[in-house]
Amino acid sequence: MPYQLRAVIARARELFRRRSHSAREQGDEFSFHIEMETAENIRRGMKEDEARRAALLRFGGTQRFREETSDARGVVALDNLARDARFAVRRIRRAPAFAAGVIATLGIGIGAAVGIGSIVYGVLLRDLPYDKPEQLMRVGFSTDGLGTSSDLHSAASYFHFVKSTRSFSELGAYSTSDAFALTDRDAPQGVTIASMMPSTYTLFGVRPLLGQLFEPGDTSASNKRSAVLISENLWRRRYGADPAIVGRRIGIDHGDRIVIGVLPRTFAFPTPSIDLYYPMPVPVKHPQITSRYLNVVGRLRDGVTPSAAEAELNALIPSLAERFPAITPDLLQRARARTSVESLKTATVAPVHSQLVLLGVLVTVVLLIATTNVVNLFLLRTERAGPEIAIALSLGATRVALAQRFVIEGGVLGLASAIIALPAAALALSTKFGFTEREIPRLHEISFTWHTAAVVFGFAILIGAAVGLTGLTRAGLGGLFDRLRSSRTTSSVAWRRTQNALVAFQVAIALVLLVAAGLLGRSFWNLHTAKIGFDPVNVMSFQVSLPWGEDGYVQYARGAAFHAKLVDRLAALPGVTAVGVAARLPLAGRGLPRLDMQLQADGKDGRPVVAAAGNLASADYFHAMGIPLRAGRTFRSGDLRGAPAVIVSERLAKNLFETTDVVGRTITRLRDDSPPTPFTIAGVVGDVHWARIEDGYVPMIYFPLLRDGDGLPLEASPVPFNVTDAQFAIRGTQLPAASTIKDIVKQLDRRAPVARVRSLGSLVDDATARVRLTMLLIAFAGGAALLLGVIGVYSVVAYAANGRVREFGIRLALGAAPARVGGMVLGNGARLVAIGTSAGLIAALGATRFLRALLYEVEPTSVAEFGLATALLVVLTLVATVLPARRAARTPPATVLRGE
Amino acid sequence: MHGWGLTHRIEQLSQDALQVGQGSIYPALVRLEQRGWIDTEWRITENSRRAKYYRLTTAGRRALGQELASWSRFVSAVSLILAAES
Repeated sequence: MPYQLRAVIARARELFRRRSHSAREQGDEFSFHIEMETAENIRRGMKEDEARRAALLRFGGTQRFREETSDARGVVALDNLARDARFAVRRIRRAPAFAAGVIATLGIGIGAAVGIGSIVYGVLLRDLPYDKPEQLMRVGFSTDGLGTSSDLHSAASYFHFVKSTRSFSELGAYSTSDAFALTDRDAPQGVTIASMMPSTYTLFGVRPLLGQLFEPGDTSASNKRSAVLISENLWRRRYGADPAIVGRRIGIDHGDRIVIGVLPRTFAFPTPSIDLYYPMPVPVKHPQITSRYLNVVGRLRDGVTPSAAEAELNALIPSLAERFPAITPDLLQRARARTSVESLKTATVAPVHSQLVLLGVLVTVVLLIATTNVVNLFLLRTERAGPEIAIALSLGATRVALAQRFVIEGGVLGLASAIIALPAAALALSTKFGFTEREIPRLHEISFTWHTAAVVFGFAILIGAAVGLTGLTRAGLGGLFDRLRSSRTTSSVAWRRTQNALVAFQVAIALVLLVAAGLLGRSFWNLHTAKIGFDPVNVMSFQVSLPWGEDGYVQYARGAAFHAKLVDRLAALPGVTAVGVAARLPLAGRGLPRLDMQLQADGKDGRPVVAAAGNLASADYFHAMGIPLRAGRTFRSGDLRGAPAVIVSERLAKNLFETTDVVGRTITRLRDDSPPTPFTIAGVVGDVHWARIEDGYVPMIYFPLLRDGDGLPLEASPVPFNVTDAQFAIRGTQLPAASTIKDIVKQLDRRAPVARVRSLGSLVDDATARVRLTMLLIAFAGGAALLLGVIGVYSVVAYAANGRVREFGIRLALGAAPARVGGMVLGNGARLVAIGTSAGLIAALGATRFLRALLYEVEPTSVAEFGLATALLVVLTLVATVLPARRAARTPPATVLRGE
Repeated sequence: MHGWGLTHRIEQLSQDALQVGQGSIYPALVRLEQRGWIDTEWRITENSRRAKYYRLTTAGRRALGQELASWSRFVSAVSLILAAES
C-alpha cells in the first residue's frame, strides 16, 4: 500500500477517534519529555525552577507543536469541513426564501424521481426473483393463419415440445381461472386458481413453506388423493396461518380437495393473486391446435440462447403432425404455425413497457426542470452575494477555497432537501400511485428499502453539490468583476447567456410535454366518445360462478335453468326493465380479444375461414345492453333444435358474406377434433368493442342461452361454452343494491359466489383508464414545465430590462418613441421563446413517436395538437414579456439620469 | 525509544550541530507514523514512568534504505559539483 493511501486512511480514522483522547496522549508525551529534560538539567547542576524553564525553552513552545502535530494528523481539514458546513448553514439561514425554494424544488424533484424511478427499475430492469433468471423463457405458439392472436399452446403442442426439445432443461405449463370459489366456512369466496404442470415448480426451484409439492400420481386423470396446494396469502388470510392445514380437506365449488402444501409468498407466479394451485392432468385427449389455453414457460439449458431455442422449436413443428395424426401437415401449413421464445421478464412486463419507459423519461424531465430552476436560483444568489465574494477574492481568497464553500453550501441544501425527498419517495413507493398488480406486473416485488433511502441521500448531496458549483462558473463569477469595476448593476454577457440557455431549454421541454399531453388528451377524448356499440348508462353488471361437480351445473340445461330463475327474480324487482345474461361482457375482460371461433359461410369448401370471438346471449341480453338489433330477431325457445340459431354482429356478417342481409343463411363452425357444426343465422346486431376500446370492433358470434336447455336431453351441449360462469347485465331506472343481488343468489344456491358487482359505466371508464392516467401524468408534468418556463422567461427578461434601465432613460430622453423601447425588451423575450419553441418542436417530433402505443385514432405528428400546444406556449410566454416591456417603455428619463 | 530519548540521541550524534526546538520532532513523528514507517506503543520506562515508544516498521526500514540511497546520491552529486567548482 503506498504511504499516501495509508496516510489518508490514518486521517480518516482520526475522524472516528475521540479528539480529546489524542490531545490528552499528546499532552502526556510532551510533559514526559519536559520532565525528562528538567531532570537531566538538574543532574547537570541547575536549580529546579531554572531547569524547568530551560527545558521549556529547549522544547520550543508546547502550544505551537501541539497545533503542528494535530495539523499533521489531518484534524484541521476535518475541522475546516465542519466549520464550512456551519458557515453554510448560517448563510442559508440568512436567506430563508432562497433556501426554501431550493429545498422544496430539489426535494420534490428527487423524491418523485427516486420513487417513480424505483418502480420503473423494479419492474423493467431488476431480475426476476428466481434462480438463474436469465434462463427463464416464455415459449409462445402462434397460428396467424387461423386469425387467432394469442401465443398460448394447446395440450398437443406443449407435449410435443416437452418430448422433443433439447434446448430446454424443463418446460412448464399453466392456465389460470378466477371462476372458482371456496365453499367451506360461512361465506363462499371467489378465488383465482392456477393449474400447473408439476415441472413448472421444479423450473422455478420453488420449495413449499409447509407440506410437499405434487407427485406424479396427482396428475393422473383419477388423481386419487385430490391434492391441491394453497398460497401463503390464502393460508394466512382464510386459515389464520394454521400449521395443521396440511392434510385438511377444503370445500371448493368444483369439488373438495385436500391441501398437501403451502407455497411461499415469494413464488407469486404467474401473479401474486393466485390462491390455489391445481395439478394439471397430463394426457392429451383430443390432439388439436385451435383450442389453446396453456401458458408455457421453460428453463434453457446452460449456454443455449433464446434464438437458438426458438429455431429448434420451429424446426420441430412439422413433426407435430407425425406424433398426432389428427393434426395434418396441411393444417399446420394453413395455420402458419410458429413458436416464439423470449425472456420471461420481457414477456411479463411487455404490456406496460412503453408506459413505464415514458414514466421514467417523464420523471427524469421533471428532475431536470427542477435542477435547472435550482441552478437559476444559485446563479441569482451568486449575483446578489457578489460584492462579498468579489471582496473575498480581491483580498486573496483562493478559487479552491471559494469552490469548497459553494460546493458545501450546495451539499448542505441538497442534504436538507432529503427531508422532503425521503417521505415523498416513501409515499410514492407505499401507495404505488394506486396501481395494482392488475395494471402493472411485478409491483408486489417493490417496496421502500434502505437502498432507496441511500439513493435519495446520494442524489440529494450530489445534485446539491453540483448545483452549488455552478455558482462558481464563469457565468456566475463573471458578473462580479464587472460589478467591481463599475458601480452600476450591469450583468455580464456570459451570465445572461447561461440564463437565456436555461430558459430556452425549459421552454423547449414545456413544449414537448404540452404536445404529448395534447395528443394523449385527444386519444382519451376519442376513446371516451368512441361508439362502443352499447349503452352503459343505467346498467349494472355482476358475475355468478356456479359450482361444478356431481350436484353442480356443468350441464348446459342445469346452468341455463339457474340463470333463467335468477333473471326472473331480478326482473321482478321494482325499476328493472331488462336483465340479460352472457358468458362475458364487452370491455369487462383483460388482455387481447380471443378470436377462437373458426367460421365458414354456408359450410361450403373454398369459402374463406373467418375468425370471430364468441359469446353466449340470453334472449334479453341485447335489450339489456342496448346493443341494437339490425335485422331478424333475438333468440327464442326452439332455437336450439335442428341447426341451432346464432346471432352475428354486422362486422362478422360482412366478413363472411360481404353483406349484412344474412338472416336465414347458414354458417359452419370448423373444429379440428370433430366434424363441422352448422348454425342458422337468426339475427344481426350492432358491433361492440370487445376486449379493449383501442382494438376497435371485433367480429362476434352469439350462441343462445335458453331456459332449461330448450328441452333437449341433459347431456346435449349445443353451444361451445360453459354455462357455469355467467355475467349479468341489469338495465333499469332504479338498480338493485349489491346486497339484494347476493341475497337472491344465496336463496337460489348458497354455494354460488357473486362477484364484480359494478356499474357498466365504471367498466367503460376502466377501459380508458390507461390512457387517462398517462395523460394526467404528462399533463401534470407539462403544466409544471409551462409554469416554470413562463416564470423563467419573465424573470430573465425583467432582469435584463432592469440592467438596461439607464440606457432606456437616455434613449427616451433623446426622443426615442416609448413603443420602440418597449419593443426592444419584447424582442429580447421573443427571441428566447422562438429558440425554445423551435428546439421544442424538433424534440417533440422525435419524442411523440414513442407514444404511438398509447394513441387512439390520432397521429403522433398531428398538426392540430402541435399547433395548439405551440400557440398556448407562445402566447403565455409572450404575455410574460409584455410586463417588463411596458415598464421599460414608461421609464421616466429624468429620474434615471438624476439617480446617477 | 521514546521522543525525549530520540532528541537526545540526535543531539549527541550530531555533536549538537542540529539544535532546533526539541518539540519539532513530534509533528515529524506523527507524519512518519501515518505513513506506516514507525509504530508507537505506550510503555513503562526503567524508572517506572509512562512514555510513548517509537520503533521502525519493516516498511519504515525499507523506506529508510531508499531515503539513504537517494541522500547519498544527492550528497555525492553535490560534492562532485563542488569539486568541479574549486
